[in-house]
Amino acid sequence: MTSLSQSPDVTHPPTTDVVYDVRNVTLKFGGVTSLSDVSLHMNRGEILAVIGPNGAGKTSLFNSLTGVYTPQEGSILLAARVGDAQTPVLLDRKFGPFSLERRSRKTHEINHLGVARTFQNIRLFPALTALENVKVGVETRQTSGPISAMLGMPWQRREERESTERAYELLGFVGLTHRANDLAGSLAYGEQRRLEIARALGTEPGVILLDEPAAGTNPAEKRDLADLIRKINVEDNISVLLIEHDMKLVMSIAHRLVVLNFGQKIAEGSPEQIQKNPAVIAAYLGTTDDEDAAAEGGTA
Amino acid sequence: MSADVKTNLKRLLACLGLGVVLALMIGDQEGNQTDFGFAFKAAVFHPRILIFLGIGVLLYLAMTFRPRVAPYLTRAGVRPLAAGTASVVASYGLLNWSDSGNLTNGKLSTLAHGARDTSGISVIGRLFFGSAVPGLYWILFVLAIALAAAAIIVQKSALAWGAAGLSVLAGVWGFVAHEMVRSYLHSPDHSTGAFVALLGYATIASASVTVARTSGSEAATGAFLDRIFGWKPGFPLFVIGTAAALLGTFWASWFSPTDKNTSVFGMSDLFHGYPINGLTSAYLGWLVWVLLVASVVVAGAATWLQHKLLGWASVLVGAVALLISLLSMHNFSRIAADQKFDGAVQAWQNIGTGAWTLCAAFTVLAGAGWMVARKPVDAAADPVSPRPIGSDSLVSPGKSFAFTQAMLVVVLAGALFYPPTATGFWQTVLVTEIGTYVLLAVGLNVVVGWAGLLDLGFIAFYAIGSYTTAYLTDTLPVKPPHWLHLSPLMAIPFAIAICLVAGVALGFPTLRLRGDYLAIVTLGFGEIIRIVAINAKSITNGAQGAFGIPQPVVHLGPLHLKWGQDPLQYWYLLLVFIIVVVMLFRRLENSRLGRAWAAVREDEVAAQATGVNTVRVKLLAFAIGASTSGLAGVFFASQIGYINPDNFVLNNSILVVAYVVFGGMGSLSGAIAGAAVLTWLPEFLKAQVPAEDRQMWIGAVILLMMIFRPAGLLPAKRRAAELSGLDKVYSAETAAVPAGEGM
Ligand SMILES: Nc1ncnc2c1ncn2[C@@H]1O[C@H](COP(=O)(O)OP(=O)(O)OP(=O)(O)O)[C@@H](O)[C@H]1O
Ligand SMILES: [Mg+2]
Repeated sequence: MTSLSQSPDVTHPPTTDVVYDVRNVTLKFGGVTSLSDVSLHMNRGEILAVIGPNGAGKTSLFNSLTGVYTPQEGSILLAARVGDAQTPVLLDRKFGPFSLERRSRKTHEINHLGVARTFQNIRLFPALTALENVKVGVETRQTSGPISAMLGMPWQRREERESTERAYELLGFVGLTHRANDLAGSLAYGEQRRLEIARALGTEPGVILLDEPAAGTNPAEKRDLADLIRKINVEDNISVLLIEHDMKLVMSIAHRLVVLNFGQKIAEGSPEQIQKNPAVIAAYLGTTDDEDAAAEGGTA
Repeated sequence: MSADVKTNLKRLLACLGLGVVLALMIGDQEGNQTDFGFAFKAAVFHPRILIFLGIGVLLYLAMTFRPRVAPYLTRAGVRPLAAGTASVVASYGLLNWSDSGNLTNGKLSTLAHGARDTSGISVIGRLFFGSAVPGLYWILFVLAIALAAAAIIVQKSALAWGAAGLSVLAGVWGFVAHEMVRSYLHSPDHSTGAFVALLGYATIASASVTVARTSGSEAATGAFLDRIFGWKPGFPLFVIGTAAALLGTFWASWFSPTDKNTSVFGMSDLFHGYPINGLTSAYLGWLVWVLLVASVVVAGAATWLQHKLLGWASVLVGAVALLISLLSMHNFSRIAADQKFDGAVQAWQNIGTGAWTLCAAFTVLAGAGWMVARKPVDAAADPVSPRPIGSDSLVSPGKSFAFTQAMLVVVLAGALFYPPTATGFWQTVLVTEIGTYVLLAVGLNVVVGWAGLLDLGFIAFYAIGSYTTAYLTDTLPVKPPHWLHLSPLMAIPFAIAICLVAGVALGFPTLRLRGDYLAIVTLGFGEIIRIVAINAKSITNGAQGAFGIPQPVVHLGPLHLKWGQDPLQYWYLLLVFIIVVVMLFRRLENSRLGRAWAAVREDEVAAQATGVNTVRVKLLAFAIGASTSGLAGVFFASQIGYINPDNFVLNNSILVVAYVVFGGMGSLSGAIAGAAVLTWLPEFLKAQVPAEDRQMWIGAVILLMMIFRPAGLLPAKRRAAELSGLDKVYSAETAAVPAGEGM
């Protein structure tokens, strides 16, 4: 790309190719600083992994990106889908020169801008079937209202049929067709993780944020998951932002990594660069014993 | 060991205490002027306390040996045995066995007391009532259930057959004895006791047969019902319809039940020489039989052969038969009113149970045809049709669906043709209590059950609907512009619109709040509306309220309907409202919005992250619930004719919530059943327990329900799964997540 070569700053390529542009974000909870002055960018079409020890602020970053938390400082620009203009996630209501109030776009608005996510602790709708869980996602892109539903209008029926078809397609994509009519709450743990991904994909995102999708799954499931993430990235052209503790998995699928520690970004680069980075090694080795073991277990 | 003794002792004491509580609950609760502790003494210091302590001991034994007892409780036949026992006990103890004040008035014990020494009654009947052995009918009953229970425990089919035979004997004997009393008294009788006892014994007999034919297997009531109803969709309805038709023609009275008690065979003679029209005379002479045979045969053929075209034919025949019956009934009852038969003043009066039962039978037979005609094409071939929860994607749904459909038809037939046979008291209850609260519960179910928002001010919208009606019909101090004088039914769209706005207005500022906070705010809203209605005298006429709200009228082309004083007329109007609302809401539940509601209720953050606009979705729930309440308000105002703030107290809001919870949160049929049962119960108890005990018994019923069936009477599929599946969900999660990884 010509524009890329023109740009002198390699870490900040031109805006059109950046999905998320995060600058100097700081998020505090009372005395706790979860994110301090974090800047990063995510290129379109890449798998970007965020790693770091427990409590480093990874999930806080996700929550800031999706409007669950409002960082006190910094800016976040989003252009989730190809051809989107950059949209600010954080809004300042200004009164003359004064910044009155800072708020984030609502989570569902950000979702409608093309950002889907999963949760570290699975958050499905346990009393709905797997199919219905995915349908909820698909249907947020539909338009028919309650009146046409009550009257059973033809366009509403068509949308209903379309959403069912799409939901079956997605269940097939994550390999859950046989569980379509089982309650989400009754699925096995790994299946619930995949169902969450299917539900997220139902909203036709340009970027998907996966918070520890492999946590609590067995090695075979981890392999399947890695394939699934690659498939999402390549076939569906969706940029993937991934939090994962399993180093083997991360190193095998991520194009780039960002390392957080105590709310600060300490490194960024390709998997090879990160593995050699002394600051990263120090962060992982300099922590307490059990996290040490976790990191070792991950790389072993 | 000593700890064991201690817990057992505690349990025994608790059970005995429960026995004492029961002893206190049953019977009068009030003391008298001279002795305030009278009721307590009568309950406790009386030999009958031993019975209750015995119940306590039995309970203690059941609890202590529960692991030993439990496997027997899940055996085949236990549930129908319990149901049959309950209905026989109800029939022997609670229901009326006679209407006539001549020999007796009321329950079986009084009837038996009078009848066993009446020489005009044949000895077979007198034996049943206890001329030789006092209380023989109770002995027979205890023997029958003891035999059945023994058969279940030891799995001896001989015992089971014995129990079946004994219960058939006891049921038929009781029925025959009751018929003997009836023919001896020569007076019409509308008591239900004998009939319920017969049904109860039939249930016990079928339970025993089940026991005899299935050795020791686990009960699978659901699968059993599915098998029966899924075997040939519509066939069970055909059986029910045919039975009802035979009952209606051969057994029940057709005309003037309190005076002449004419059966269908006597109708032609009764109206001989009167100016009934040709259709009616043909109907009473022979047409009724033709229609009966035709609809039974067509429905039977359609359901047996599962032929779609025959199904439609059965719908057609049933509908035509129903129409002709109604036309004839109208004609002969109007002629009778002209002749002042039995004090009648207008059409439809004095028609007996038989004619209405036949109408219900035609409806059910048409429904059987409809089930065949609308049977889904092979569902397995259609990959995207929705399926019941838990079904394998490759298995066809169909079965429990057929059961639901059949129940729907039966309930509809009952709702249409039972009320005309009820007494005036029950008709009024049906309209002012049952029907109105069913509508309210269906509306609140949207808010509480589907969207999961606890609304304790729901009655406010009912008030807004009522006051809107009063305003538009010009009965408030504030006058509407003169071009806006409307009849009550025309006020419906306005009331709905205003309630929509009010729902949004309440929802918008409060929807940030959750759970208890929201409940408190909505409670406050309800009170504000009521207090405004009291204090804004110049607008609402204060505590006096509005008077003379006109009754509904409909002028639609050639159709002129005017509602008067008869509760029955309002019942049908209400039924139309309920059916329309339920049909619309059923669609809504399975739509995009219905699922979004469930999503918001289950996990708001996840719903937002999935793109659901939670504020909009919740506001819609509030608005839709509120408008239903407003519709009920319009109906209430125009039915009762006068309203005042006392109609809209907090207690009513809480009652509606109780109905929804009792019925099963989030289930439409549950909300209907919950409201119907809990509004029916107090009226039913009026005849059973002293007035001051009523609330206590209702409380006891709700308590037992919440202990033994916390998901409600007819739990919602989604909610039931939530209640029973949740610990599974969480345990799966916690087991799988390594420590320290939760968010
Ligand atoms: N809602 C909140 N209120 C207060 N503190 C919070 C909140 N959310 C996060 N934190 C704090 O922010 C810090 C970062 O937490 P975060 O959940 O982002 O870590 P993480 O990198 O996702 O860790 P893990 O690997 O354990 O998931 C922690 O110290 C946490 O206690
Ligand atoms: Mg985290």
